[in-house]
Amino acid sequence: MIVNTYSKRIFNMAYQFTGTYEEAEDMTQDIFMKLYTSLTKYDFEKNFSAWLLTLAKNYLIDEYRRTKWEKKSRDNFNEHYLPSEAFESPEYGILKEETKKIIWEGINQLSSEVRMTVILRDIQGKKYEEIAEIMSLPLGTIKSRVNRGRLQLAKILKEKKERKNEM
Amino acid sequence: MKCENIEELLSAYLEDDLSPEEKRTVEKHLKTCQSCNDLLSFIEETNKSLADFPQLEVSENLLDRLYSIPSRKKRLKLSFDFLLRPSLQPIFAAATILMIMISFYLFHPDRNTINKTINRQVHHGYSKIERLYAKAESFTDHLGAYKDKILVSLKNMKLLGGNEDQKVKT
Repeated sequence: MIVNTYSKRIFNMAYQFTGTYEEAEDMTQDIFMKLYTSLTKYDFEKNFSAWLLTLAKNYLIDEYRRTKWEKKSRDNFNEHYLPSEAFESPEYGILKEETKKIIWEGINQLSSEVRMTVILRDIQGKKYEEIAEIMSLPLGTIKSRVNRGRLQLAKILKEKKERKNEM
Repeated sequence: MKCENIEELLSAYLEDDLSPEEKRTVEKHLKTCQSCNDLLSFIEETNKSLADFPQLEVSENLLDRLYSIPSRKKRLKLSFDFLLRPSLQPIFAAATILMIMISFYLFHPDRNTINKTINRQVHHGYSKIERLYAKAESFTDHLGAYKDKILVSLKNMKLLGGNEDQKVKT
């Protein structure tokens, strides 16, 4: 039941955070093992989904710090993400894919905390209040991290595109 | 206001999350700064791109691994239950005492003295056993001699047709 409801969410969170498919699968398994051992600590008055995402977030950030992920490279964007079926012109579709590739690789340059906040807000589309609960941080801190992450990614995008235009 | 300060407000500006005063400042700056206008459009593009990232399906292999977690944990727990049986408690107690004694012996500073004492005690015990064994042997010899004497006396009894006057050969 828990696997059916949450595996996709946890796996995608792990994949977006780590950037490597095999590692994300292993991490998802570890998170679920941790979940089963921690279920006794769950407070039934709390939101289960937020509690589980907090557990996953803590695990991913701890592993990131322990194994120095920032030094690892991410999977090639098209390795697992298929090109989206664009209704727009093929040329515009290619431009969009190119932007996604730059952003996907740029995520690796964000610090673990900023990366997690951007993933939760902009990729998974969570509300600021939900993220504050998951991250156990004040709303203002979350907003400032999201702003910082977006700005960093936008600057990477700007730099790469401008360099490409110069060539 | 400098570009660096404006940059930090651009993301919130796109989400309409600025105070009216901040909003006015940003808009005023954007009218005159091309660089910040460019950055604003890149932030917008970044946001759209991130929101458009697809969610992957979980592979069958991972699902199998996830479904098997509770049963694997249960099996692991059973194997430990076996060790927790009350009938094994005396064995654990004996093993603990043995371990304490071994560690006492191994880590004692005067290990050589202990070795000598043990050797002396073993030799002492061994010689005691030898003496006991020798005593036991002489006792069986005595018993054998008595047995022979009794048999000869029985043979010589008149009642059984023997000659009582015949001397017993020893």
